[in-house]
Amino acid sequence: MSARYVWRRLLQVLPVVAGIVTVGFVLVHLAPGDPVLAIAGQDGDAAYYAAMRAKFGLDQPLLTQFATYLGNVIRGDLGTSVAQGRQVTTLIAERLPATLLLTVTALVVSSISGVIIGVFTARRHQQTADTAVSVLLLTTYAAPVFWLGQLSLIVLALWLDLFPVQGMVSARSSATGLSRYIDIGWHLVLPVSVLAAKETAVVARLLRPALVEQLALPYARTARAKGLTTRRIVWVHALRRALLPAVSIVGARVGHLFAGTVIVEIIFGWPGIGRLLLTAIQSRDHPVLLGLFLLIAFSVIIANLITDFVYTLLDPRITYA
Amino acid sequence: MRGSSCRVAVLVCVVALLSSACSTADEPDADPDVATSPTAAATAADDSVTEATQAPPNADADDQSDTPSPTSTDTETEPATEDTGGGGGGTLVVAISQDPGNLNPAITTSGGTHTASEIIYNGLVRYDENLEIVPDLAESWDVTDDGATWTFSLRDDVVWHDGEPFTSEDVAFTFEEALLPFQSRMAASLTGVLESIETPDEQTVVFNFSEPYGPLLQQLHVSDAPILAAHVYEGVEDIQTADANLEPVGTGPFRFVSYAPDSEVRLERNPDYFKEGLPLLDELVMQIIPEDSNQVIALEAGEVDWLWGAPGPDLERLEATGDYEFLQTPFNPGGANCIMTVSFNLDRPILQDQAVRTAFAHALDRDVYLERILFGSGRVAEAPISSGIPFAHADDLDMPTFDPERANTLLDEAGWVRDGEGVRMAAGVEGIEDGTPLQMNFLSFPSFADYGEVMRQQLADVGIDLTLEPAEREAFIERVFVARDFDTNIISYCNQTDPEIGVRRMYISSNIQPIPFSNSSGYVNPDVDALFDQARSQVEIEERGDTYREIQEILVEELPYYWIVETDAIRVYTNRCSGFVPFGHFAEEASCEG
Amino acid sequence: MPRQAERNAGRGAQWLGAALLLVIGVCAFLAPLIAPTDPFALDAPVLQSPSPAFPMGTDDLGRDVFSAVVHGARASSVMALGSAALIGLVGIAVGIVSGYLGRWVDDGLMRLTELVQVLPRFFLAIVVVALFGPGLDRIIVVLGITSWPPLARIVRAEVLSMRSQEYIDSARALGARTGRILWYHLLPGVVPGAAAYLSLAVAQVLLIEASLGFIGLSDPTVMSWGLLVGNARDFIRSAWWLAMFPGAAIAIAVLGLNLVADGVVARLTRRGGSGVAVSTRSSHSAA
Repeated sequence: MSARYVWRRLLQVLPVVAGIVTVGFVLVHLAPGDPVLAIAGQDGDAAYYAAMRAKFGLDQPLLTQFATYLGNVIRGDLGTSVAQGRQVTTLIAERLPATLLLTVTALVVSSISGVIIGVFTARRHQQTADTAVSVLLLTTYAAPVFWLGQLSLIVLALWLDLFPVQGMVSARSSATGLSRYIDIGWHLVLPVSVLAAKETAVVARLLRPALVEQLALPYARTARAKGLTTRRIVWVHALRRALLPAVSIVGARVGHLFAGTVIVEIIFGWPGIGRLLLTAIQSRDHPVLLGLFLLIAFSVIIANLITDFVYTLLDPRITYA
Repeated sequence: MRGSSCRVAVLVCVVALLSSACSTADEPDADPDVATSPTAAATAADDSVTEATQAPPNADADDQSDTPSPTSTDTETEPATEDTGGGGGGTLVVAISQDPGNLNPAITTSGGTHTASEIIYNGLVRYDENLEIVPDLAESWDVTDDGATWTFSLRDDVVWHDGEPFTSEDVAFTFEEALLPFQSRMAASLTGVLESIETPDEQTVVFNFSEPYGPLLQQLHVSDAPILAAHVYEGVEDIQTADANLEPVGTGPFRFVSYAPDSEVRLERNPDYFKEGLPLLDELVMQIIPEDSNQVIALEAGEVDWLWGAPGPDLERLEATGDYEFLQTPFNPGGANCIMTVSFNLDRPILQDQAVRTAFAHALDRDVYLERILFGSGRVAEAPISSGIPFAHADDLDMPTFDPERANTLLDEAGWVRDGEGVRMAAGVEGIEDGTPLQMNFLSFPSFADYGEVMRQQLADVGIDLTLEPAEREAFIERVFVARDFDTNIISYCNQTDPEIGVRRMYISSNIQPIPFSNSSGYVNPDVDALFDQARSQVEIEERGDTYREIQEILVEELPYYWIVETDAIRVYTNRCSGFVPFGHFAEEASCEG
Repeated sequence: MPRQAERNAGRGAQWLGAALLLVIGVCAFLAPLIAPTDPFALDAPVLQSPSPAFPMGTDDLGRDVFSAVVHGARASSVMALGSAALIGLVGIAVGIVSGYLGRWVDDGLMRLTELVQVLPRFFLAIVVVALFGPGLDRIIVVLGITSWPPLARIVRAEVLSMRSQEYIDSARALGARTGRILWYHLLPGVVPGAAAYLSLAVAQVLLIEASLGFIGLSDPTVMSWGLLVGNARDFIRSAWWLAMFPGAAIAIAVLGLNLVADGVVARLTRRGGSGVAVSTRSSHSAA
């Protein structure tokens, strides 16, 4: 992977970024209604609304607003929340750690469990266990997230009392240090499991046929004939090649995890950006909506870039000029 | 409860343990303004009221107006250890639906902010359990005979949470820098009539009005006019974005510890609270839980102790366990004394005919809304002004009641003929082309879709075709108040605690403006305008009451709106805790065991 | 031998999937016959648990859930077909044009594809519905015009590989017009792969609509599974049937679509075609 490739790939991203900023801006500003009404309440008078509008620059022509906005985005300034009067970047930054904790954990967990299940089913190809697991995976994949979430909340948290019901920390404990981390970890289990379940299915379902295919190839047979253990063949040789399709979708999975996290955060009361999104929708907080939209889109772009680079490194067959 | 028996009592059904008389089947939900779910909890969106007062006026139940005796509370708490006493009441975890965003209730009417922060502050006055105004930060007050100059004497023993003394400067600052510029309700009602605020000495505040102003006291409780600490905002350029809004300093029973966005707000007992022996709780934690049904699950799991409201069927279930107590109140998280109200767009020829509006009203069986949508937590509306404002509410008006026969007759007579079971058509209706179907659209927040659903079915029975058009809050405001492009709609109009604040805006002709939740029907009646002005300038509350009664008689006669149900919220809490009141500083005297 | 077994099992699953979709299609088509009760009628007692009279119980307003689920299949079918049509149209058009014309057209279209592909669809749908109000039409449009990139790439790849084959050249040499070449020679080659991707994409559309419903962003005037799911939120503990049946309907539809897609992919793979490509691309945009 040459430096030139890296640069070219990075340059390609620029128009995409510009396009996304435009899409978000146009969309939010085409919508009916006026964000000022959302914050100013029902009892103000016309002068009051006009003052608020001027304060947030909402009285400027759309093009001016866009130019200002673009300039600000480039400088890393996403504007001020209309509803809360605080920097959008601050609002996001306050919640991003919670969301990242959730999504990154889910990404790791689902990757590992997806690979394990994929290998398990590929090795038991055609056996009852394979079929059973495949059906289970497909069902998990088909079930709506909120369904899995509510079900696990009621059964595992309420009835069996195995996990906490809501939030990231226990409201009654003001624990610090290690016990606080344990508390957070405990709260993390259910939301991560729900979020990771579907991704696990995606990875496993992608891996299984690729692995089956690899194991049927001549080199695998040769290796076995040479006395290598099946385990070694699977984990060392076949897996490396079979993983490629799964690796190629990591970027997209980041996008799905962010989407899933909105629902999961609402159900489990997890204090992340999904909750901020919901509040922004209710108060029609344009800058926050735009900021979140950009954040998610940029995350996906970055994840895709990294994926591309990793993919290039993993797959010796691909060469880029 | 239904009907009459409890009806009036409900208001102060206050402690009505759901279990007992008042509630049997009522489950609450519905917050009026609050969105979507019926639940009460402090949610967000609302309709009409967007905002507000989540908890209402501050009334703590009890006795003391100003000098509480140390023993005044119930509870089994241990004796106070220090300072002004109190404490030993354990930790209370409260579920709230909405992230507060900031903790300065003086610059916003957002329900989320008010729910989480009112208990940190005080108003000059508060409501007691009988909804009477009693002193809080102000010790006493006087009004001149012309009703235009109000003088308040403040307590001299109040200190802010950071130890600074509370003075009249704080009051003047709060009004001039926060409430008047940024709190829409205050801005709308005081701007123009309030001439100046004077502070002759540290313990005296004078409000000078340009004309007699009767409703002032009703606007000075903590929900409408929480008093901020001037020194905390010294040198702050923009009070709306001040850091101090996230580290509030108040005079109230609890002081700020920490705020984790979308997670929790932690408060602790204010040891120097000016009411001796209070509060009892050592700690008050507000945990933000967005889903109403999951708030119930958290309550059942013991993670939280108090809910501002809960879905109706859940209340029944919780009641059956015997582990919970209930508190019914017209103070919803989004506003007080809310009435679900149908507006008729009086610009529309079809609806200009009063017979059509009256027939519309007769076609509706309002008990169905109360039972199926509110699960009984509320009352069928008897008057344009809520029964929660007893001095202004008229209780024996000739309100149209469910009578489909009468509705059919009225429509037949008006020239809307019907062939069998179908939609009526115009045949000789003045100003309307023959053959025009009797169709109208109905705008509502998606969260109020249930009302439209029931209404459509009931109106179909008399041959009126209602087309439901759900609109998100902003689109709703745009169509109803800006473009005036609708036939009928439903809004949760919260009357608040005084008609001047919450009722006037719906009816006066000068308020037919592109302002959210103003005069939605476009009702114009100079007599009504004049009567509202008259009521505002009357200082004697009985006189004002008479004027409001006169207004209501006209309104019921002309029917520019139709008032469906008054909505209540039902608080739920674990029976480990006790001592709550339904509005104001709800947990000032509360304590929990174990 | 095991290959044969697998093939059989695969076919079984494929038929199962087709059967599930058929059931839903029949519900949608014959809804008024299967469930004569108006799904919006408030005639039943409220919050009844499932019984012979109300096989899926009733809701808080006294509406029959069975009727609602059956009629909800209509909204889902409209959404599925509508978005599939949009995705198919745009995806196939862009893929063919891009692959066939190549050069700067290809470059431009691929940039566009890349842009659309990274748009977070779920967030976009939320923002659109929240800002413009709920409605099936906008869900179809938003998801339709954001879900085509993987399809365009599949089609483009197919076109590129076919382009190099000789019969296209000979067709051109014989004087066939471009449109004719595309229609008769290229289109048939891409249809199976496109079909597999479409059914996966449509499954996503249904899941996203359900999630929107859960957040309360469904159109309350159209009976849909998402609406039912949203209405059920407050009754999770007190009336399990309100969430159970619509959720199951969604799961069945998604399952059916996936089984069918799996079948098509398996067949393509056996043929040595672009099966793996389809499944990779699809998961790319799925989930």
